[in-house]
This record gives sequence, C-alpha cells and structure tokens, in this order.
Amino acid sequence: MLAWRAATVSCLLMLCIWGPALSASPIKIGDIHPLTGRLAKHGIESHQGVMIAVAEVNEAGGLLGRQVELASRDDQSLPEVAISRAEELCAREKVLGFTGGYEDSLVGAVSEVARKHRVPFVASASLQKELVLHANPYFFRVASLQGFVEPLCDFLTNRLRPERLVILHAATPGATEFAADLRDCLKSRGTETRFLEKFRPGTPDFTPLIARLATLPADVIVSGGFFPDHLLFLRQLKEQRVNLKGYIGPWGIAYESFLREMGEDAEHLFGTSAWNPGITLPGTEAASQAFIERCRRLFHQEPSSTTMHGYTAARALLAAIEEVLRRNEPLTGAAIRQALSGLDLLLPMERLSFDERGDPRAYRHVVVQVQGGRFVVVYPPERASGSVVYPAPPRSQRP
Amino acid sequence: MMWITALVSGIALGSFYALITMGFALIFGVTHAFNLAHGDLLVLAGYVAYWLWKAWDVSLVLAFPIAVVAMLFTLLVLQRLFSLLREPLELNSIIMSFGLAILLQNGMLFSFSGDYRLIPAPILTRGIHLDGLSVSYGQLTLVILSLIAIGLLHLVLHHTYLGKGLRATIQDREGAALAGINVRAMGVVAFSIGAVCIGLAGPLYGAIYYLYPTAGLQATLLAVTITIFAGVGRIGGLLLGGWVLGLAESAAVILLGSSWRELVSAVILMVLLVLRPQGILGREQG
Repeated sequence: MLAWRAATVSCLLMLCIWGPALSASPIKIGDIHPLTGRLAKHGIESHQGVMIAVAEVNEAGGLLGRQVELASRDDQSLPEVAISRAEELCAREKVLGFTGGYEDSLVGAVSEVARKHRVPFVASASLQKELVLHANPYFFRVASLQGFVEPLCDFLTNRLRPERLVILHAATPGATEFAADLRDCLKSRGTETRFLEKFRPGTPDFTPLIARLATLPADVIVSGGFFPDHLLFLRQLKEQRVNLKGYIGPWGIAYESFLREMGEDAEHLFGTSAWNPGITLPGTEAASQAFIERCRRLFHQEPSSTTMHGYTAARALLAAIEEVLRRNEPLTGAAIRQALSGLDLLLPMERLSFDERGDPRAYRHVVVQVQGGRFVVVYPPERASGSVVYPAPPRSQRP
Repeated sequence: MMWITALVSGIALGSFYALITMGFALIFGVTHAFNLAHGDLLVLAGYVAYWLWKAWDVSLVLAFPIAVVAMLFTLLVLQRLFSLLREPLELNSIIMSFGLAILLQNGMLFSFSGDYRLIPAPILTRGIHLDGLSVSYGQLTLVILSLIAIGLLHLVLHHTYLGKGLRATIQDREGAALAGINVRAMGVVAFSIGAVCIGLAGPLYGAIYYLYPTAGLQATLLAVTITIFAGVGRIGGLLLGGWVLGLAESAAVILLGSSWRELVSAVILMVLLVLRPQGILGREQG
C-alpha cells in the first residue's frame, strides 16, 4: 500500500514538473528536397521557402506557444533516396507531417511513404494527375496542372488567336500531360494545334527541330520545357533567324534568374507565374512583402516562385497543425490530415483549400510578358498590369 | 533547306561531341584510367571561364588559356592520385573518379549555386545567312576548333617521337615498357594533353550550351560513348564518330521526331558494338 502511494505521488510530482514542459515541447515537421543533384537549384529554393515559413511562425511565438522544429533531408534528386529519407523522417524523426518534393518522380515516391506511415505530406511542386487518382488521404499539393492549362488556353483563344500554333514539351510526365491537356482545351474552343512534339530535357541541339518548325512556319510556340531548355532553344531560334509572333514558356521563364541569363533576348517572351516578387494575389500585398523581406534577411537573396511554393506548402501544414492544437485534439496524422482537408488560407500565391483528392482548388497562374526587362502581367484582364505586345516585333526591328 | 540545316547542325554537334571526348579518350587510351569525373572537370573549366567573366569581365577568348592552365594543374594532381592506385586499374579508377565527380559537383554547387549559367559570347550567335540557310559562328567555331584540335593531336601522335611513344603505350603498355618507353611519363603527357583539351572544351561548353553543377554527367556519358564508337585508342576516329552520331541524331529529328533522337544513337551504338567491336576505324586483330 505504501509502495502504491509512493508511486502515485511520484507520478503526480513528475507530471507537475514535466507537464508544462511537455505541452511546450517543439512541434517537429519535416521537409525533403533535392538539395544536390540535377534538381538542386529548384530544391534549394523550395527548401528556403519552407524555412521562411517556419521562421515566420517561430518569430510570432510558435504554434500556440510551441516552437516549430524542422527536420530537413536531401533526396539528391533521386526517387530511391527520396523514399529512404521519407522513411527516416516518418519512422525515426517521428515528424507530424512533412513537405517538399520537386518533380513528380520524387513526389510520387514520397507520397506512398506518407500513406504507409499515415503522416500527411504536402507537396510543394507536383503536377501529374495520376498522383491524386489513387485516393491517398495523406497526400496534398499546392500546385496543379489545371493552374497552367486553363489560363494559357484562355489567353491563346481570347487574346493571341494564333494561326499556326506549335506545342513542344519536355518528355516528363507533367509536361506531357500539360501539352495534351492544352491541345484538347484549345481544340474544344476551335483552335487547332498544327504541330505537337516532345523532346528530352537537356537536349543539346534544337536546330533540326527549328528547321522543321520553319517549314510550317510556326507563328506561336508554347514550349513546355524547363529553364535550361528555353535558354538553348531561344538562342538557337535567334541563330536561325526565326521570327515568331509569340513564344510562351509556362515553366522557367518567369524567373529573375532567367532574365539575368537571357538579357535583352528575353524581351517580349511570355511566361506564366503563380507568384513572383512583383505579382501577388490581391489582398496579400503586405504578406508578400513580409515574405520577400524575410527571404532577403535569411538568405540574402530575392525569392522566386519556387521559394513561394515551398513556403505555401509549409504554411498549409503548419496551419493544419495549429488548427488541431486549437481544437485540443491529439496531434495525430489523421487529425492533421482532417485539418488539411478543411483548410481555407489566403496566401500570396493562392487562396489555399484542398479538394477531396488533395489538389488545390484555386491554384491559377497569370500570364506575364517580359517588357523593358521586367515581368508585366498581361492576362487575365482583371489582374493585368500592362498591355500585351503582340505580335512581337521582328528581330531586325529590335535594338 | 531543312536537310542542309540538319546536315550543318549534325556536323557542328558531332564536332562538339569530339571536342568533349578528346581528353577522355587520350587519357583512357594511354593510362587505362577510366575517368568518370571527366565531364565534371569540363564543367569546372567552364565555371573558371564564367567566373573570370563575372569577376573581371574577361572575354571567352582570354579565358581559354587560363582555363587550360587551371586544368593542367588539376589534371596533374589527378594523375598523381591515379598513379597511387593498384591493379585492377580500370576498376579502381572508376571508383576513385566517381568519388571525385561527387566532390566536384558539390563543390561547384557550393561555389556557383545550382543556377544555370551562360558565358556571354554574342559573336557566337551571329553568323552567315544565305538564302534561308543560317550557319552561326558558334557552329563554325565548333567545326574549326575540333578540326584543328584533332589535326594537332594527329600530328603529335603520328609525326613526333613523343607521339610514337604514346601510340605504343596505347597499343600495348607492357610491350612499350619492355621497349624502353617510360609509360609513366607517357601517362603524365596524356593527362597534360587531356587537360588542354578539357580547358578548351569547358569554356566552349559554357558559351554554346549552359553550365550547371551536374551537367558533367551528360558530358562523361557522351565521352564514353564516342570513345567506344571511335574505338578505344583511335583518336582519329573521334571526329568521325562524333559526326556519325551528330548526323544520325539530326536526321532522326527530321525524319522521326525529337523523341527518337537518343534512341537512334543507342541503336547505332549497339549495332556497331556487335558488328565492329573495334570501333569505326579500328582494324580487326589477328
């Protein structure tokens, strides 16, 4: 009896001592990004976005007083490494949820680990439709393919109305789906695609393809390639003296670093952007500016759209955890997943809420054009900050 | 006109492939060191030129000799490391150079970030335009530079005593050693000539193509492919091998579409390995 009483008193004492400390223990979340390897540029930017979100929450006092701890992992741009890192975060680090991923081959692999461990995963960059078709309740993402296809389809049919449209795309799952969806959307609105072709990302020479395009001749090219593909393709278009009325790159063009590398040759190109330092969702100007300043302070550089994607994904996860804490429910994967499903968050990039498959409901890009060395929003009209220059002046008339 | 453009493009691309490959082929032929960091060294030479331009506005032409000197120093250190390896040399050199490649990639990522970099050389995008046919100075530079480099290498290999020593070492290391040739010294010479080739190809890679820290992997694969294509130790076959691959890729894009480009190259390589394992210009033994 005495022993029982002593044990009870000890337990009570321990609760008194450790109880407050337990309630104030840090919240641990994870992030997996390609910090090395071929996708390092994008992975590092997205990872910085996650760190900004965590810093923002911690500087504001944490989630209901609890600081957030971030466990970061490098997937080396390799799916098999991504799987082992995700296992590590879920099984060893015991994170409450995690974010990250760039490119669907990495995101798809990680999403299955999330399902297995019942730990919510909010992907910062993922497009492939198939990933949300398998009813994975622990997978969410802040971007979707339709966010690119719909505004571009509207822009092409309502504003440019090209006669000889060409769609090129990188041979990746997301880019291939993008090209097919855009072609179908345009067709449903009476605009025919004259030529559709895929190429391997990193192709060293586009000249033979350009020679084929010159026989059409194409007047508008939509190129679903990536940053380096645009660099090479545009330079070789110039070498071959091909004049286009318009060139649109949904990925890779609306980046300050692209302008830096391309210089004057970037003039009049079209890109799309969900966010960049000059483009933010109406009503989020202050939040956007705070994000930019925090990025400058932490990393001494300007944030990119990719940084914002990482930030948005982390903010979603943190908001869901805060909601669970507010409801005074246990912090389980199921409870956080539930909170993510009911999320409605106004962020600089989008008004974030998820549909039943984990896709964002309102992710939508705007069409931008490089004018005078900066990005001007030209579509949709309600968000436009300037007029479209179309057709682009021939090279012979450019300075 | 489309076919002529494809022909020019194929020749220029093939010349680029040959330039990328020369250093690898010579070092492998003479020393049997399989340098998996070849592409990364090439990208490093490109970054040297990029950094010179960024920091001191040094033009591409002036960057070449500096990149060559930087590569000479680096490759001689590498040669020293390879000379410490024991047999089987090919296998051990693969492992060591793989580690070096990872080291170089991470070093470049740390120093230059993951951003894609172009070395500005506006002259290379200008060119000759004749009745719908455009040949850029970049394409011409690739063809001329590769012809000069292969020509010089051919002269050294076939018209000097040093070249005789190198060729003898390529053909049979043990035999060459028995004949009194200092095969170790030949290794140093091969690494030095290889460094010059890499120092020339790297900056051009950054100006014609673009640089990023892991770009070297593709260059290494290309170098291995063309070396096999030409026949190991067959320096003269490099240009022909590069042109065959470049032309095949260009023709595949015109006839079948861009997605067939690599497949056609792979099929040609496999057929060649079966029918002519000694390479395009190689002679059958026995």
